[in-house]
Amino acid sequence: MKKDPIILFFVGALVAVMLFAGIRAARNSRAIMPAHGLMGAEAPDFELKTVDGADLRLSSLRGKAVLLNFWATYCGPCKVEMPWFVELQKEYGPQGFQIIGVAMDDATTEEIAKFAKDLGVNYPILLGKEAVGLSYGGVSVLPTTFFLDRNGKVIAREFGLQSRSVFVDHIKQALGQGGSVQAQK
Amino acid sequence: MKVTFACALLLMCGCVWAQEEFGPKGPVVKIIGAPVVTVVQGKPATVPLSFAVSSGFHINSNHPKSEFLIPTVLKVEATTDIIIGKTTYPEGQDMSFAFAPDEKLNVYTGDFEIDVLVRPLHSVQPGKYVIRGTLRYQACDNTACYPPKNLPVSFDVKIQKARSAPAANPAQSPHAHN
Repeated sequence: MKKDPIILFFVGALVAVMLFAGIRAARNSRAIMPAHGLMGAEAPDFELKTVDGADLRLSSLRGKAVLLNFWATYCGPCKVEMPWFVELQKEYGPQGFQIIGVAMDDATTEEIAKFAKDLGVNYPILLGKEAVGLSYGGVSVLPTTFFLDRNGKVIAREFGLQSRSVFVDHIKQALGQGGSVQAQK
Repeated sequence: MKVTFACALLLMCGCVWAQEEFGPKGPVVKIIGAPVVTVVQGKPATVPLSFAVSSGFHINSNHPKSEFLIPTVLKVEATTDIIIGKTTYPEGQDMSFAFAPDEKLNVYTGDFEIDVLVRPLHSVQPGKYVIRGTLRYQACDNTACYPPKNLPVSFDVKIQKARSAPAANPAQSPHAHN
């Protein structure tokens, strides 16, 4: 049987279009907001429980610069950053800066609380939910850290372990004090 | 011929685009070897499953050195006719990483093998059986970690009939000499 080249071409084109459309649809159905899409936008609001059982809504921190850190107890690099965050909270807290840790973890609340206590964490640790992670781009890398200005807008984000100075720059920028690092990616 | 080439090119573009959209964002652990093991009814055999961790990443071994680390675990689904025995994990490597230079973590990198013991019941019909399971792992690189993942695993076991023992012949007496 002789193959009609025009039909073959159209079948190939159709398969390619279906592949594009299928992947796009799969992506949309997961309702993932790409992390780069958050830059300059208002940070998605959420309310989560702290390890102490209190409720904390992100938008209640409006007026403060916020460092939103997604982490997990199994994440070694996250453990390196947390003592820095303790110091940064002490240093910049009085200027209207607040760090929020969101544990994206399978560990129990008690384990998460113990982990944070052992590191001397002095900022709220929230029990993360997948939906919150998805609204921040899926949080497929830990640590992932977002920096919000006093109006709740995302001004920077970092994936993975960064140097302390990068955090300081973003915090200053979030506080409206400048900062040499440009908003990332 | 040219049209076939154009079609292949279009499909390749689609695949490249898909890759751009989704990653490569994280580590990949793949199963790279699951030989079909032939087993005799009622006898045990070991199935060696080979895995590969993508370059630059590590996953925790089955015995990581911290209570907070998530161990690599292979869970094999129970079957009615084949008993799943002990799973033997390799020793991990003690390694330090830039994020914790003073700490040694026990990890798998590169290729590693997990052995699964299987023993079909005597009553199992000879033939090929598919056994399924899941490898749960949690990976990191030098600066970041990735949420735990479940890798579907399957392997085939070919079951052969056991040889029946030679039957004694009661009709013949060793002392029947005339």
